[in-house]
Amino acid sequence: MEIVTANELISGATVYFLTEGCWGADIDRARVFQSEENAERDRVIKRANASGFLISVERETVRVAKGRVLANRLRERIRAEGPTAPRHRPQKPDIHNAVEFSHVSL
Amino acid sequence: MEMIEQSDPISAHQTNAGKDRLRAFGIITLNSMFAQKDASGVLRMAIEDLLADELAVVSSFGADSAVLLHMVSKIDPNLPILFLQTGRHFPQTLAYVKTLSKRLGLANVRLLAPDSDELVRFDPDEDLWKSDPNACCHIRKIVPLDKALGGFGGWVSGRKRYQTEERGALSHFELTSDNRIKVNPLAYWEGADIAAYKKTHDLPEHPLFAEGFASIGCAPCTSAVTNGENPRSGRWRGLNKAECGIHFDVNRRISPAMNKAELTLFRDGEFVADPWGKWVEGTAPVLARYVHVPLVEFVVNRAAYLASLHPLGLLVGAGDDVMEVASDLGRFSSIAVEFPAFTDGRGYSSARLLAERLGYKGELRAVGDVLADQIPLMRRCGVNAFVVSHAATRKALEKGVPGRIDVFMQPAGGDEIPVGTRAFVRRAPNFTVSTP
Amino acid sequence: MYRYDQFDAEFVAGRVAQFTDQVERRISGELSEDQFRPLRLMNGLYLQLHAYMLRVAVPYGTMNSTQLRKLAHIARTYDRGYGHFTTRQNIQFNWPRLDDVPQILSELASVEMHAIQTSGNCIRNVTTDQFAGAAADEIIDPRPVAEIIRQWSSLHPEFSFLPRKFKIAITGAPNDRAAIKFHDIGLMAQQDEQGKVGWAVYVGGGMGRTPMVAKEISPFVPHSDLLAYLESILRVYNRYGRRDNKYKARIKILVHEEGLATLREQVESEFLQVRGGVLNLPDDELSRIKAYFAPPAFKDSDARFDLAALKVSDPEFARFVLHNTNQHAQAGYTSITISLKPVGGVPGDATDAQMEVVADLAQRFSFDELRVSHEQNLVLPHVAIDDVRAVYEALNGAGLGEANVGQITDMIVCPGLDYCALANARSIPVAQEISRRFGSARRQEEIGDLKIKISGCINACGHHHAGHIGILGVEKRGTELYQITVGGNAGENAAIGNILGRGIVAEEVPDAIEQLVEIYLKARSGAEENFLGTLKRVGEAPFREALYGND
Repeated sequence: MEIVTANELISGATVYFLTEGCWGADIDRARVFQSEENAERDRVIKRANASGFLISVERETVRVAKGRVLANRLRERIRAEGPTAPRHRPQKPDIHNAVEFSHVSL
Repeated sequence: MEMIEQSDPISAHQTNAGKDRLRAFGIITLNSMFAQKDASGVLRMAIEDLLADELAVVSSFGADSAVLLHMVSKIDPNLPILFLQTGRHFPQTLAYVKTLSKRLGLANVRLLAPDSDELVRFDPDEDLWKSDPNACCHIRKIVPLDKALGGFGGWVSGRKRYQTEERGALSHFELTSDNRIKVNPLAYWEGADIAAYKKTHDLPEHPLFAEGFASIGCAPCTSAVTNGENPRSGRWRGLNKAECGIHFDVNRRISPAMNKAELTLFRDGEFVADPWGKWVEGTAPVLARYVHVPLVEFVVNRAAYLASLHPLGLLVGAGDDVMEVASDLGRFSSIAVEFPAFTDGRGYSSARLLAERLGYKGELRAVGDVLADQIPLMRRCGVNAFVVSHAATRKALEKGVPGRIDVFMQPAGGDEIPVGTRAFVRRAPNFTVSTP
Repeated sequence: MYRYDQFDAEFVAGRVAQFTDQVERRISGELSEDQFRPLRLMNGLYLQLHAYMLRVAVPYGTMNSTQLRKLAHIARTYDRGYGHFTTRQNIQFNWPRLDDVPQILSELASVEMHAIQTSGNCIRNVTTDQFAGAAADEIIDPRPVAEIIRQWSSLHPEFSFLPRKFKIAITGAPNDRAAIKFHDIGLMAQQDEQGKVGWAVYVGGGMGRTPMVAKEISPFVPHSDLLAYLESILRVYNRYGRRDNKYKARIKILVHEEGLATLREQVESEFLQVRGGVLNLPDDELSRIKAYFAPPAFKDSDARFDLAALKVSDPEFARFVLHNTNQHAQAGYTSITISLKPVGGVPGDATDAQMEVVADLAQRFSFDELRVSHEQNLVLPHVAIDDVRAVYEALNGAGLGEANVGQITDMIVCPGLDYCALANARSIPVAQEISRRFGSARRQEEIGDLKIKISGCINACGHHHAGHIGILGVEKRGTELYQITVGGNAGENAAIGNILGRGIVAEEVPDAIEQLVEIYLKARSGAEENFLGTLKRVGEAPFREALYGND
């Protein structure tokens, strides 16, 4: 299972492709692609790269437990939650760049 | 014929005789009167009958001109011969005008000079040919010719079908859009016919013909052609331009205007046509001309390239050692330094070695991944021309962003900071060295 | 210190304007990320895990209070109230927004600072001894030459696209505090028989996945020829350095593969051409730059510390004096190192409030001068001995009074996986645990000087290769593991540490360090024999055994 993640251009914040078909900061709302959905996943990546407001677009393997989406790699978990020592909240994506509302949908 | 029915206003000087005659004969009739290669017949008809006292010959005194002029001299050595003295001719051409006129006994050669006010106004630095060759032809050829033709009902040209694709539909007689008759006696002649005629009559060759120039115009826009190329391919090389404009007429094959995006060479502050072509692997050294020969290839076949008389360039690849050709730099009219990726900075060292250490003063062009932000650095390393395909770079250059660099921290380039005259490592306009 | 003149100001302002335009073009979509990335990197702007990171150059680690206050202001206004000082004597901000960066750069320019060449394959910020111009053991103040190198290397037209980044360090003292032998070029001041000062040139040092100690390419290059010599090295490197593999592109690999003799030959032959030309450094130019670095107006003083008495009357302060001061060339003065390694803190981090305090102290007590050390601490270089007590109290009030300089908790630590996009494992939490474990003053006093350095990946930003004890974070099947090395040394006797064995998990690291320290304490010949001395004498075996048994 994979999610698609990126950094938002203006803030640099970590964002995810969400189930709603738009981009946002909450990994638990990330759209989880099954392996048979690879074509769709790749379309999302392609569109994200073409969008102009997302950079460093990557896919990440995850598992889903109790409604939460957990990245397999520690790096991704830190990306999702912010630095650990001391803890800092993650960067907020830029609302002017309208990430939450910009549909890079399929 | 629709041509004949044209009713454009005609200048007062112009006689209507030509038009009337043409109407009388009918252009199709006229064009079917002579065998294809009966150039003398066509010429005689035009001089003695069709346009008696209204005809002039327009000649470039180029590589093939002797043929037509020889025929003219046999019929009427007093026929006006118009030569466009553009101001940009090869000295060899000007000499040829004299020798050929004398030899053939041409008694009425007229030199048509461009309007000096126009030159001052539109081409003060004599470099219009680089940025806008069409405009250059306009000032130096079309306007003077138009003026001179005012008193004539028609003119003779030496054009031939085989020269270019556009000329492939040429006939003996044409009616031009300004209602003059244009006579093309050599329309159906082939290269071999020309050569044979020259030989039979022992006509003197244009001095540049032996050096590979098959069609000769103004110096800046004429280059040698290779076997197999069409003879006019050396004119405006690299440009989508085959005609200067004096022959835009009935066949409506007017050269398309230069598309600015096709000018890829940035030099002296503007985009100009690039006369250099791509070197093709396997080209025999003796045939290479107007191409940048890779350094390694040059070194391997050094003797053959040095023996060739054709204009040659050198391509310095990123990993090449320019010191290997240190003693041969005088051979190259242009050196291209390759930047295979913008991150590959070896070319900067090559350029400095060429410009500073080896004193190369010719065109030093950057080719490859040339980005706007690198151009100031390249310039400081001695690069003076850029082949640009990257759209953003092009835009930046057109905007003039990375122009001259006013401020820098260290000396580079031969003459940025002459030894002994420094403010040590830096330069800025009106800058004086300060102390704490 | 050096002050911008009209020229520098114009130069930096031009760059700010250029980058402002580039950011606008990026945001408008005119520039793609692929086109923009190299441009932002040239201005020190990286993309890390959570946000952009802006690395600001502190030229050879030298600042004044106005500049530090500006950094505090930037931390407060555009970031999250802190900054991270690095081993390159720079500062990094972890949370800037792209659209704020032009404004940040313009604020920096207003105090004569910038982020130029803090990234990219160019000549990076020149680093030097944090006690330059102050240390008692100095042959020559290296800062004027560092400044001249800075100028020469700034936007160098030929050397802005080298095979890889290029780092130059310079020291004017025989005791190397700038780790010069771990740089692409290291310069160490030398005096010839006539007393003339010049530079021994070392080339090909570096950390990363192929650590190398730099080799001497020339024993003596006079001032006047130094730039010509550097340009010769750079030209040879630019032309012949490998570009096919970025892991083999540093000059150390060229030295390694071609051999020092070949490289020297190439450099010397280039030098013959370049020498005596426009790069010749005239004495009057050197003097002009030197004047910027004239010593401040020291007062005559014979004040000294009476450590023995202090230890009785004020043991805490005595400890601070012992560890955090460095002998000054001027009688009655000392240099104070402000530790950015509080127990349990983030090594190298300072808050905006702390920066304000330090700026204030620099202004009041250190002739407005400040330094950043490659060991990620701050330095007040010129403090009257009579003022040290006052400075100490002010530092304590700001949580900056940690008296641990040079001790086991004064670690070099990279940001690691908490921030860095390249890291494999976290560094900061490991450092915090070690620092808590060894935090007691008594314990540190007993151990003495011991340098631990931690990197979160093989790129070795935490200098683990040069740590007496080095810790390298790696990742194996999703788990962070840490390899321990011993025997590294960043000083004049530079050495690369050896790996003791397989990686261990984070929780085991403090215990492992504890075990190594125990072995050292047991085996040392006396308190004056440091960790490296003991290691050299007894070998690695006992240390390896302590961690891994006999397997």
